[in-house]
Amino acid sequence: MVDWLSLAVPLAYLGILIGSLATFSSLYRKRKYQKAATLEPWFPAHLQRDIYFSLLHLDPSAQKEKTPAVPESVVKAALLRRAKEDIRRVLALRSQKQALSVLLQRGSVGDDLWQRFLRAEKEMEEEVKDVVAEANAYVPNWGQTIFQSANEMMNNDIYRQRVSEQQEKLAEEKEWWSKKKATTQEQFMKELNEGSEAASPSVQSPAPKSPEPASEPISESVPAAPAAAVQPSDDEAVLVEAEPSNSGTPSGGKKKKGKGKK
Amino acid sequence: MSSDYTYDEQGQFFPFFILTLSGLVTLPLTYNLLRPSKDLENTAPRIKSDFKPEHADLVEAQKRKRLRKERRIKRIITVILGYIVMAWMVYLILVTARTTTKSYDPYDILGVSRSADEKAISRHYKRLSLVYHPDKIRPDPAKNETVEMLNDRFVELTKAYKALTDEEIRNNYLQYGHPDGKQSFSIGIALPKLIVMDGNGKYVLLVYGALLGVLLPYIVGKWWYGSQRYTKERVLVASAGNIFREYKDDITDNGIIGALASGEEFKDMLKGDKAESGLAKLENKVLAEESSFLSAKDRESLKNLDSVTRRKALALLWAYIGRVDLGDAALNAEKYEAAPVALALTEAFTAIALAFGNLRPIIGAFKASQSLIQAVPATSSPLLQLPNFTDEVVKAVEGADSKTHLTVQKFMHLSDSERRSRAVGAGLLTEKQYTEAISVAQQLPALEVSKAFFKVMGEKSVTPSSLVQLVVKARFIPPGCKDIPAVNQLDLEDIDPDEDDLDALMGRKPAKNRATKMVDGKKVEVKVEKVQPPLAHAPYLARDHSPRWNIFLADAKQGKMAVPPFTFTTFDKPILNEAGQPTFNVQTLKMQFQAPPQVGAFTFILNMICDSYLGLDTQLPITLHVEDPAKAAALEEEDDISEPDEDSIAGQMQALKTGQAPKKKTRKASDSSSEEESDTDGDAGDTSDTNTETEDED
Repeated sequence: MVDWLSLAVPLAYLGILIGSLATFSSLYRKRKYQKAATLEPWFPAHLQRDIYFSLLHLDPSAQKEKTPAVPESVVKAALLRRAKEDIRRVLALRSQKQALSVLLQRGSVGDDLWQRFLRAEKEMEEEVKDVVAEANAYVPNWGQTIFQSANEMMNNDIYRQRVSEQQEKLAEEKEWWSKKKATTQEQFMKELNEGSEAASPSVQSPAPKSPEPASEPISESVPAAPAAAVQPSDDEAVLVEAEPSNSGTPSGGKKKKGKGKK
Repeated sequence: MSSDYTYDEQGQFFPFFILTLSGLVTLPLTYNLLRPSKDLENTAPRIKSDFKPEHADLVEAQKRKRLRKERRIKRIITVILGYIVMAWMVYLILVTARTTTKSYDPYDILGVSRSADEKAISRHYKRLSLVYHPDKIRPDPAKNETVEMLNDRFVELTKAYKALTDEEIRNNYLQYGHPDGKQSFSIGIALPKLIVMDGNGKYVLLVYGALLGVLLPYIVGKWWYGSQRYTKERVLVASAGNIFREYKDDITDNGIIGALASGEEFKDMLKGDKAESGLAKLENKVLAEESSFLSAKDRESLKNLDSVTRRKALALLWAYIGRVDLGDAALNAEKYEAAPVALALTEAFTAIALAFGNLRPIIGAFKASQSLIQAVPATSSPLLQLPNFTDEVVKAVEGADSKTHLTVQKFMHLSDSERRSRAVGAGLLTEKQYTEAISVAQQLPALEVSKAFFKVMGEKSVTPSSLVQLVVKARFIPPGCKDIPAVNQLDLEDIDPDEDDLDALMGRKPAKNRATKMVDGKKVEVKVEKVQPPLAHAPYLARDHSPRWNIFLADAKQGKMAVPPFTFTTFDKPILNEAGQPTFNVQTLKMQFQAPPQVGAFTFILNMICDSYLGLDTQLPITLHVEDPAKAAALEEEDDISEPDEDSIAGQMQALKTGQAPKKKTRKASDSSSEEESDTDGDAGDTSDTNTETEDED
């Protein structure tokens, strides 16, 4: 006859032990999956893809009224734009991959980030495949060249953006330069006048400057001091600045403008 | 319960056990707590200045808050508790020691030593019986004695004597300390009986379960997740992730500040409604027209941020950098609180930028740290670092519409009267403010490179894939110094450590003693000490910061980093003498890296950036000549005769004039070259060669 009562104690012990471990593991896994599912996406929403799909699925019959069917060229253009965004993302991922793996090894970033990155990589792979398939559906073999043209589009965009950035600076630089020119001209004229009035050359002008502030007649030197201060620093600045601002921005801007128009 | 073990019924032993345990925990913790901190920030001297910024009290309050946080209250409480437990246990030991029963010891009763032989014992007994026999003495009422007591005493004495005169018993005593001979071992458990009593079983089990089942997993889990939350740079993992996502190859000054504002640490700082409160006012003030350091793009980027916390953090950082008065004590306090947080995050950004290896963001990271420490925008004038300098003063000094900025060194290079005429005046600085600023400027640790060259330890030229040392010889020349002494040419030489100083040879630590050459060509051993530069003069930063110098090599053509930065915080010679005057000592900074595997000349840009001051950066081109080992060996044979020339001052000057330290080496031979080609025979010859060469000079 088995003594059930005394056997119950170790059985209960085992039951509690195994039960608690099982609960823990299932809870832990569930939470892990949940966390993986709620990982923030690497990239923001893919607007171009969304546009493409909404164009594709725009059902003309649903809208009763005379909305014309979406012409194929528009859909194709949307696909190209989608490919452009894809290629931008793929390039970004490629440039980040090496750095990220180095950082992960060193312990400078967390494992989460790596998981997110891997997921984004996988997603982009699928996305690229999807775009190729779609392109092939419109024109046979277009899939092989669509990313080339998308790449060129992207480069063109970057180029344009840079040009426009430079163009924006143009007005400001122009203003600054004309002001600069006016003040230096004024200075030179003043010096010339002084030179012609007094027989002594302009070399003399720095000489009286040094004792004046040393004696510290503040009320006296206030009008004189700025003038003295501006003069040398301006000359200095002109020497340094004249070259880049003169040859760099405006001429460069013009050159780029010409190209941009073309 | 088995009765083989005796439990600690009187509580004699468990206090010892607990005392040992608590001592094991408490004593190391005490040491850890009381040990003087060796942090850089606690040992460095300071720059003397009486300057108090506008919100000095707020900055001080933030500093104190930070100190309080670092005070480790938990550890202090643990230590105190540990000492209380230990004291209690010592008390218990003292108290219980008295109640323990003494075992029967005839030697003790008779009062003879254990070494006494039988004769001596009986003699002693006879003498005692003469004194203590009940017939001989009367009870002494003063001592409260009775006849029985006297009898008992005598009986005891007799018993003891009987025991000791028996040969066997006496031997047993002497050998085992017991009349019956060897005793069996009794094993006791130092647990109070209380624990093992029948009724208490379930409570003990409960405590045991709580300790092992709850407390232990909790502590381990807390430690594990706590350590997982932080990266190597002591930054939250989530922050590092955010900053990584913000990183762009062309990110610069304000962009980096924007990336730093994405740190999760700001969420801790701006908990609850703190993120919302005053945000509108803050943004208005920051985006006002006066903050010229913000471009239209930066303003746009702030407005485009969705997260409220991030928006506020960024606005606070900009307010801090632009020294914008927010007109509200709470906001201003938050502004000063945000800066040290961002400074900690720059570490993470630097690590990320280094992993990408692009030059611009790396330099940008150091510049961000400079501007956070000094509260000066990276694009603004370095002159703002000086006390009392405001935008107006800088404008007056630099000229109204100049596009380049004066560095502190250039400003101090002007004559005193010139400086005064520019900076002092109505609406500008007063005389007192001016002297205050100048005194700080004269204490800035500007490091000026005198010479930088490559060398391989014990070799004459750099061979492919060898371990190259970049030796930078530099001097601290505070801005505005007059009559700087010329560099002593002998200081510019770098002498290898002794061959028996293995640690130094392996590059594990600096040489214990460094040899320097005197004018007459003798070598002198100088004790190498660690000298710290003064703490960064950062009146707006709510934290002490010791300046760090980063030296790295960059490939200018590709815009990439070639050799990652080495950080220097201490120097090998005193910077100031006792009177507080600069010594202009030549400091030696060394970094090691592997030479490229190909032969050829590699041109690098040497960047030396101080992370605490703007405008003290140095950039200079430097060329690494990697020689073909075979060619270098051939050259050695030809050139053997002219070797002594190298150490003469004339040779040094020649090398300096041409500015080609490596070239000199190329002319010379390398030992490793022949090592690789020839057998051990040639090897031995080579080492002896180097030996004689160094001993020549003695």
